[in-house]
Amino acid sequence: MIINTNWLKQYTDFDYSYEELGDRLTYLGLEADPVPNPLASIEKIVVGSVSNVREHPDADRLMVCDVFDGKKTRQVICGAPNVKDDIKVPLVLPGCQLPEGKVKKVKIRGVKSEGMIPAEDELGLSDDHSGIIILPDDAEIGQDFRKYYSERFGSNFEIDLTPNRPDCTSHIGVARDLNVLTENELKIPDTDFEEDGDEIEKYVEVNIHDPEACPRYATRIIKNVEVKESPQWLKDRLKSIGLRPINNIVDAANFVLMETGQPLHTFDYDRLNGEEINVRMSEDGEEVITLDGEKRELDDSVLLICDAQQPVAVAGIMGLENSEIIDSTTNLLLESAYFNPARIRYGSKYLGLQTDSSYRFERGVDPENVIYALNRLTNLIVDLANGQVCTGLIDNYPKKIEQPQPKVRFSRINKLIGQDFDPDWVVDKFEKLGCKILDKDKNSVKVESPSWRPDLVREIDYIEEVIRIYGMEKVKSSRTIKIQPDYSRNDRYNFNRVVRDKIASYGYQEVYNNSLFSHEEKDFNLFDLEPVKIKNPLSRDLAYMRTNLSSGLVTTAADNINRKNRDLRFFEIGKVHDLNFDKDNKADEYEHFAMLLTGNLEPVSWKYGQRRTGDFFDLKGDIQGLIQYLTGKEAQFVDSEMTKENYNQIVKIVIEDDILGYICQLNEELLDDQYNVEEQKVFVFEGSLEILYKHFTPEINYQPVASYPAIERDVSILVNTSTRVGDVMELIRNNGGKHLQEVQFYDLYQGENIQENKKSLTFNLIFQNPERTLKDQEIDQQMNIIFNQLKKKVDAKLR
Amino acid sequence: MDIFDEVKDSIDQFHQELSELDVEERAIEDFRIKYLGKNGIISNYFNKFGQIPNDKKKEFGKLMNSFKNEANQAIESLHQKLNEKQTKQEFFDYTLPGVKPVEGSIHPLSKTMDDIASIFQDMGFSTELGPEIETDYYNFQALNFPENHPARDAQDTFFVDDKVVLRTHTSPIQVRTMEKQKPPIRILAPGRTFRNEAIDASHYCTFHQIEGLYIDEDVTFSELKTTLYLFVKKYFGEDVALRFRPSFFPFTEPSAEVDISCFKCGGIGDDCSLCKGSGWLEILGCGMVDPNVFKSSGIDPEKYTGYAFGMGIERIAMLKYGIDDIRLLYGSDKRFLQQFKQL
Ligand SMILES: [Zn+2]
Repeated sequence: MIINTNWLKQYTDFDYSYEELGDRLTYLGLEADPVPNPLASIEKIVVGSVSNVREHPDADRLMVCDVFDGKKTRQVICGAPNVKDDIKVPLVLPGCQLPEGKVKKVKIRGVKSEGMIPAEDELGLSDDHSGIIILPDDAEIGQDFRKYYSERFGSNFEIDLTPNRPDCTSHIGVARDLNVLTENELKIPDTDFEEDGDEIEKYVEVNIHDPEACPRYATRIIKNVEVKESPQWLKDRLKSIGLRPINNIVDAANFVLMETGQPLHTFDYDRLNGEEINVRMSEDGEEVITLDGEKRELDDSVLLICDAQQPVAVAGIMGLENSEIIDSTTNLLLESAYFNPARIRYGSKYLGLQTDSSYRFERGVDPENVIYALNRLTNLIVDLANGQVCTGLIDNYPKKIEQPQPKVRFSRINKLIGQDFDPDWVVDKFEKLGCKILDKDKNSVKVESPSWRPDLVREIDYIEEVIRIYGMEKVKSSRTIKIQPDYSRNDRYNFNRVVRDKIASYGYQEVYNNSLFSHEEKDFNLFDLEPVKIKNPLSRDLAYMRTNLSSGLVTTAADNINRKNRDLRFFEIGKVHDLNFDKDNKADEYEHFAMLLTGNLEPVSWKYGQRRTGDFFDLKGDIQGLIQYLTGKEAQFVDSEMTKENYNQIVKIVIEDDILGYICQLNEELLDDQYNVEEQKVFVFEGSLEILYKHFTPEINYQPVASYPAIERDVSILVNTSTRVGDVMELIRNNGGKHLQEVQFYDLYQGENIQENKKSLTFNLIFQNPERTLKDQEIDQQMNIIFNQLKKKVDAKLR
Repeated sequence: MDIFDEVKDSIDQFHQELSELDVEERAIEDFRIKYLGKNGIISNYFNKFGQIPNDKKKEFGKLMNSFKNEANQAIESLHQKLNEKQTKQEFFDYTLPGVKPVEGSIHPLSKTMDDIASIFQDMGFSTELGPEIETDYYNFQALNFPENHPARDAQDTFFVDDKVVLRTHTSPIQVRTMEKQKPPIRILAPGRTFRNEAIDASHYCTFHQIEGLYIDEDVTFSELKTTLYLFVKKYFGEDVALRFRPSFFPFTEPSAEVDISCFKCGGIGDDCSLCKGSGWLEILGCGMVDPNVFKSSGIDPEKYTGYAFGMGIERIAMLKYGIDDIRLLYGSDKRFLQQFKQL
């Protein structure tokens, strides 16, 4: 909301500078952002007077005129339709830097021009380019135009108003809050007009059909008004806060809205049917055409203002075309009302229509200010449009709105803020806020809240007022803070941190992807989760909560590959969801972690030459390392017995009896078709962080280091190519006896010197007994057992 | 003395000197000249060839040739040694690039979250987590957001159905914790949150928050101020100034927003692009827990008071690292991520 300093000064005195005023308001909780003055950086514009306007001898639409700048007369060429003799204008002098460029002395078709007369858009004041700016006659010639402008229009603040403060949606409201600080008098304009028409009851009656939705509705009738242009002062006021003047009636209503915060509506009385106003709820399917020309269908819960036959306004939100003020309007019906905030908000949301009026009603206007605002508007219209005011007004207010009367304990204020306040000071400030003091003793004060402060209901609301007026900045910071011992360790949050650090140490870069994704497009759903659909998504691409992290990682990788960054290792930790109607929140939530590997593992090196390309086994090794690091356990890699179009192979990873996750190679056709990635293999792992956490074992069990020597044996065997190395290792381990400490597989060979359907495997075995030195004989015996088993089980031949 | 003995002495001397000789260019040259130069020892012996009796000439020639050959070989081998030594010294090119480990990186949002969490963990806050898909009750109602209240406008919400939303803040964790735990409560609630806002340079539909909550018998606004001073100075630096200004959140009262002095312009403002000329940067919201929130989780608001604070991780990360477009943080470019390798 825009607040104008000149306008504010109409209701209160203060001598703050612009910056100080902004700070004061901000510290009161009315966050005031300065609105940059468009003229701030523009120099060399003065007020001039125009004379001797004549046609350019050689150009059809241009005029030549003399402009007196206070010292000398300059010849200026002007093309605007509204230039004429004896007007005052801003004169832009040569050398002036305007937003669009620098103004220079020029010759246009042989005639020289020593400056320019600008339109509003050329100075950045508005986007109006219909003609040059014409100043009122009292503008002093030769004056710096910037000074003139800022005196006339003042400066603005944009106030970022919190929803609890409807009382500050107007200039009087802001002035009133500022006065709590300055202790100045609030200057509210008097209303003074004659009621010289017939009794109002002759023309209209008001029926409120739903008093809960409309607790108060007041109206006046003014006859024989003259709809015309508003006077300069009114146009200036509206323009100063960026409103476009329309005509004297509409402008007056807008002015009183911005002055008092009470939205007002004006109807063309002669366009209403019958002599009644009915405030009622809409009917399901009822249609209206609002002032903006939109046809809108209603449900059965939008509050309407109707005449004897049909709706004429959507209450508190917008008028309808059928009753709006037009040039020929002569008789007016004015509306000033208090509507139920939640009701107006419902209508505004339902119609998707927020207006200056609905903004205020849905926050809560002052129900006791309805009549003042109505009279203020009546007064203005009489002054500006000469009407006759019907005698009396209708004020349909069946049940007075009672204001809350909380008791505020001084001890509670001190306890919550942590500082002692003087009760007299507190009571004085409550009075300044406009509260009625109902009762007071040494422990507490009972107050009645002002009608313009719907946010002051409870004791706590008043404690907030104490700190707001005293100043949060001035509240002393405590000398110490209490620390509560926290004995928890290795909690989930810290566990995630450990996982993240470890994966990064393997050379993976952490990424964050959107939780919202398009479920239909691609299927990376290894855990078979049912996606949760968003009812009001931003777009179709972001309509579901993700069921997996892999699709995000693949997209991220593809984006990078398409930018020619081909060597990638990415990981992400994040939540995925599975639809579950049995849950209150309709979803099971799991935390996953995923890793992606593609391209080369290291940059090209002068020392090692050829780069290594990462593959399944590099990713597998990283996962094995991670599991070992966090759990001390060995994971099993087994057939998943699962097929998905997106993947060439899916291997399941199991820790004890729990499925940790899957490691897969992406289908190359998919990469090419969907992601435009060619000639590159992509490997992905996705797993459950909950399972990893379940097996998390941060304690290390120390084993004494054996002091007797270890004995190593190498063994090379020939097996069928279809024999799996993992199975062979398992056989060796199971038959190696209790002293076999380690089995390393270190060579795989197929090709020359070996039968076509065979491969050669080489293992290194380490035997050790912690209690004595092993004898060669013992090892030989054990090796024989291993050979025999290998022969028997996998048809192995010694090499 | 017999000339043969003389030569043999010279050969012994030659061996002696050779064994002690420094492998230096100058020393080798002097040594060469001494033995093999025009007036060197070997030359001088050859000049005496005429004085040798004829029957001894052959023997003398043989001895001298072997001496000369040995000297030549020794010099040659010295030169070779010298060469090797020089090669070793001058051609060891330590400027060749080292073989670096391939390092990964932690995302700036994780880094920011962890740095902030660590400061509060040191002050005795433990972490609590909660679901990203929440009920309307925990996300709004229990936090004192009435239905059809404009306070809900500040939080553009994604709905799963009428009663289920993507959480718009991490505050539901406050309520969930208060329901299962009796005061004193001192927790941090980090996590991912959602707002239904069009994506642009400063808005993204997903973002992260961290909140703190402290409930006990004598928790005051004054202590909240000190706690946040401590945090800000530790995270942003000792010279950074702070200001508290009144604000509004449905679940706290009194509520405040906290600004820190702009660290780009030092709080001067003017044409500063970071603080838009105000000299201040808004970093967090805070306040005293509203009695209605206590009531909805069964805690006696007469007996207990509490404070809560919360901040947006994206905003803090962007301020801290000078990132001007929030979209850079999501679906990331390797070249962006690489910059966060540093500690
Ligand atoms: Zn700045």
